Amino acid sequence: MKLIACTEGHSSKIEAFSLEMIAAARSIAQAGDEVVAFFAGRDAEGASASFGAADRLIVARATKLDVIPAETYAVLLRDVVTAESPGLVLVPYSANGLDVAADIAARTGWPLISYVNEIKRHGESLTIVAQMYGGKVLADCEVQLPAILMINPGAFAEAAPGPIAAASVQTIDAEPTLASGKVRMVAIDVPDYADVDLTTAERIVCVGRGIGDEASIDLARNLATMLGAEIAGSRPVVDNGWLPKLRQVGKSGQKVKPKLYLALGVSGAPEHLEGMSQADLIIAVNTDPKAPIFNVAHYGATCDLFDLVANLSDRLRAGSGR
Amino acid sequence: MNILVVLRMIPDSAGELQLAEDGRSIDREWLDFQLNDFDDHALEEAILLKEAGGAKVTAVAVGEGTNRVLQMAAARGADEVVALQAEEDAMISSREIAASIAAMARAKSADLVLCGVQSSEDVFGQLAPYVGALLDWPHVSGTNRIVANGAVLRVTQERGAGVAVTYELATPAVLGVQTASKAPRYVSGSKLREASKTPIGRAAPESSGFERSAEIITLRLPVQGGSGENLGGDAETVADRLVSILAAKGLARN
Repeated sequence: MKLIACTEGHSSKIEAFSLEMIAAARSIAQAGDEVVAFFAGRDAEGASASFGAADRLIVARATKLDVIPAETYAVLLRDVVTAESPGLVLVPYSANGLDVAADIAARTGWPLISYVNEIKRHGESLTIVAQMYGGKVLADCEVQLPAILMINPGAFAEAAPGPIAAASVQTIDAEPTLASGKVRMVAIDVPDYADVDLTTAERIVCVGRGIGDEASIDLARNLATMLGAEIAGSRPVVDNGWLPKLRQVGKSGQKVKPKLYLALGVSGAPEHLEGMSQADLIIAVNTDPKAPIFNVAHYGATCDLFDLVANLSDRLRAGSGR
Repeated sequence: MNILVVLRMIPDSAGELQLAEDGRSIDREWLDFQLNDFDDHALEEAILLKEAGGAKVTAVAVGEGTNRVLQMAAARGADEVVALQAEEDAMISSREIAASIAAMARAKSADLVLCGVQSSEDVFGQLAPYVGALLDWPHVSGTNRIVANGAVLRVTQERGAGVAVTYELATPAVLGVQTASKAPRYVSGSKLREASKTPIGRAAPESSGFERSAEIITLRLPVQGGSGENLGGDAETVADRLVSILAAKGLARN
């Protein structure tokens, strides 16, 4: 059986989760199976230099664009799936993967399971552990091969990076597919971190949906100032326009690793945890004792966050006046 | 332009979730159902597009409490509202409803289908790419800005780390909205009352058309806790403890 591990890279940087996809495929490959890495993008050299843990690499090489639209990625992958007849296709849960996985599933008719944390193989079927309801529920699923899985970043340890033998690399020209694509890339905006760079912040106070309203952000901001911390928000807070996008932590925001991460009213959806679970010290305050944030917190409290902010602010103010 | 926007009612996962006795679903009896956040943004984007360039917006809702959410959609500016019938007490699987949405897109001569990029129940795949692939229309997920210039859409997609990529594509298309260009608006009680007169259409579901699908065998709650220390629920005690923890690590300013 062939297992296709979908990989990604932009701006001459291979995404680390690409190596996780290869590792996931490798973890259930049996004797005689072949792990085939699929890469679409400009950095064909980077892919060849990194994906040695795969048995074979198929590169759809672009020459101009830094970002391949998912629509084009899916067309290229479809051709590979048709040619290779794999038993399993592993797609990362990424901006690209969100468009690619179900597209392939719809066009092949193959079953798809998303948000996958664990895979076990039993011959022609798999048992899967997937996350639902913002990480509050785990689903044990069963699926017959061939199938498609969309894998959570961080669920599998990266395969060791290393070069793949030139003889095991097959290169396709992606340009004709890009040229006929229905989705054309027109611009990439990389944020200007002149004012705020959460990725280098030593201390962060992050507010989540539990903060309730925009006016209450100021309370958290004052606390952050007292702690010498940057204020940050989870996705619902930023989507509501209460904090600017540059201050968002998580999958579609920044990945941070501060010395102190104080989470106020943050439930800890998997997409948020992906951005902050590596912080040195995580303190979480949430009235819901089952909030997933407590699974990564070093200290947790279930008191009302406004009472806590008031009490903590009083003590810090008193302390600084000493 | 005809816009079809999909509104899914899902369990409020900010609240406590309990498992049903069969172990394969969540106990829905005491659950609050609310509009999927991302779908709320999709609705807002649809209304913003209508305000910017004119459009007919049809909202289709599925799940528990569709009448309520469709009245809200009408109050916010949807021109036509339709409830898609679904199996009662079942989770809303994008894989299952995609064929119904695609059929409705054709029936309504939609130029654009908008839905939220994800829902917490889409473990078997996401709606926008399913519908896009079934219709063979281009699809882009994770949008935070959509501008229509005639039949050409300019769409900005979030790629993580604050990086945004802008694409151009022609209608017909399917877009999975992450964030609307502006935060979803509030509607006044009087507008809601006015909109409560809007007739709600009914649509029967189509068969998914997929012969094989994955299956949930059991649901379970994750093992709680990790190794963190619980500081309890009394704000004063917690504040005292936090001050000493921070001070011990040199992280309090005092």
